[in-house]
Amino acid sequence: MGDAFRRAESGTQLLARLEGRSSLKNLEPYLFAEEGFPIHGDVIEFHGPEGTGKTEMLYHLIARCILPKSGGGLEVEVMFIDTDYHFDMLRLVTILEHRLVQSTEETIKQCLGKLFLVNCSSSTQLLLTLYSLENMFCTHPSLCLLVVDSISAFYWIDRSNGGESFNLQEINLKKCAELLEKLVREYHLALFATTQTIMQKSTNSAESSFSLKLQQETDTDYRPYLCKSWQQMVTHRIFFSKQYNSGNSKTFSFTSCHIKKKQIVKRSFSIAECGVQF
Amino acid sequence: MALLRAALCPGLSAELALLLRARGVRTVVDFVSSDLEDVAQKCSLSYKALVAVRRVLLAQFSAFPANGADLYEELKSSTAILSTGIASLDKLLDSGLYTGEVTELMGAPGSGKTQVCLSVAASVSLGLKQHVLFLDSTGGFTASRLYQMLQARAEDEEEQLEALQRVQVARAFDIYEMLGALQELRDSLSQQARGAFFLQVTSSTGPLKVLLIDSVSAVIYPLLGGKQSEGSAQWSETQQRTKEALNCICLLSLALMMQLARELKMLAREFSLAVVVTNQVTRNSSTGPLKPALGRSWSFVPSTRVLLESKEATWEKANTQRIASLVKSSRQPTGIQVELDIGNSDAQELSPVTPTQGL
Repeated sequence: MGDAFRRAESGTQLLARLEGRSSLKNLEPYLFAEEGFPIHGDVIEFHGPEGTGKTEMLYHLIARCILPKSGGGLEVEVMFIDTDYHFDMLRLVTILEHRLVQSTEETIKQCLGKLFLVNCSSSTQLLLTLYSLENMFCTHPSLCLLVVDSISAFYWIDRSNGGESFNLQEINLKKCAELLEKLVREYHLALFATTQTIMQKSTNSAESSFSLKLQQETDTDYRPYLCKSWQQMVTHRIFFSKQYNSGNSKTFSFTSCHIKKKQIVKRSFSIAECGVQF
Repeated sequence: MALLRAALCPGLSAELALLLRARGVRTVVDFVSSDLEDVAQKCSLSYKALVAVRRVLLAQFSAFPANGADLYEELKSSTAILSTGIASLDKLLDSGLYTGEVTELMGAPGSGKTQVCLSVAASVSLGLKQHVLFLDSTGGFTASRLYQMLQARAEDEEEQLEALQRVQVARAFDIYEMLGALQELRDSLSQQARGAFFLQVTSSTGPLKVLLIDSVSAVIYPLLGGKQSEGSAQWSETQQRTKEALNCICLLSLALMMQLARELKMLAREFSLAVVVTNQVTRNSSTGPLKPALGRSWSFVPSTRVLLESKEATWEKANTQRIASLVKSSRQPTGIQVELDIGNSDAQELSPVTPTQGL
């Protein structure tokens, strides 16, 4: 859309947007190493193997966002992009029911009304969908959280379609990453994206954009495989893993890294019927 | 990626498509991502017309966001929980198989995966009177065993025969045959959904509720080159990439596997099916825990995963007892175990074991 349109829009929506931005303040202090909450423009990557609680953590964050202020939520809207038909609505409803003091059908539906879901079946469709979602971000000033689960879903299919050229293989994801960065910046969103651990750990970390020292400290099975455009736009990287205690209870843990400030924090959590518990 | 051509959408004439191609705008993505003011100037076209075409193209090719409340309403009416026919297994799965999801049964050869699949087919076709599609890639399906199970559950011969008719069997011994069978299924389900009334009356395939695939590893294992497809830890990233670029066969097979995964999940979601797949197991080392075969990329695919193992039995007794453990679930804590019997007459429940340390 033309520049003139954007200027006029930001004039009238500025106040609403400012309020939307600050309202992510109490999203989840445990997740963030430094200031304790995502600020607009932050791109947070959840990385980990299967079964380590990434999607559960997303449900936890979504519940925090869509619950009414009376229920301990932030009352903001969330856009969830599901790339591998992973989203379990019934699970989210169970979590909401546990967190609402008075959970009736009406209140649940009121909360769910703040959640928007899109399914994308290819990286091309993801790219085109992001273009069409631009309109939604314009018209919904309280939409400040964007979730992509997961952004690595098309990796093998894209690589196979790209033929010999490595650039061609990566081009869709590169364009998606660039567009996501633009959307996050212009509409003051926070982006949470999950990436799956599908590669073995690389011992040669000199070529990775993740510094050697940081990697040793975090002791994680992380091998960057997505395109550089994506890797460079991530502001926080959170590694999830499963922990086995001496007793029966299994807990999960994550290591949260603030990329620029090189700060790390480690925490454990468990998953009960009501969702993530710290 | 869709190329821009005449009549792709209203407003896109052949002349317009040619003009755009001359300026390097060839595909839908090129058009949508380009600066329309710039294109309008360079091609001397109307800006408004281009904006209109862009809007139509986006409406056609992008996915439309749904509201959570609407989706919840839809799911409440379309989701069903189907009994597997084995009470202890139902308890493990939180009442049974959920439609809209992919459930995986993993186990070593002989652990009872095919027997459980047959029990599901018997239970759904007889008890719930719904249709089942059994996609066999190992040759392990035996109609006589299915009939045996039906006979154990129902006295009336007519009921048994009716149930048998609701179970459709297709064979697919490689990945292409399997993808082809799934495409056929998708076409026929789409047609039914469009309300082709006469199809339901004349054909034996009624509303499908369960899709059983025994097994996925049989069609994917021959493709995967094993470790080499995931890369070696010793290689540098550049070496890795070169090797992988040349090793396009492995890449293609991983892509095919992910395409199969995607197709199964889409079928489950769009048509409210319960999809059950069986998979082999492997270990990292001889003492490591059992994990599902087909690698890390596949491990993310099913929503629920059950491990089937043989129970240690005495020498004399024929070993038909199995232990099922919940390895992955979004509803129940993992690690719970139950016992079941896949014996000659019927798959029956035994007393549930107390939860032990899971995987």
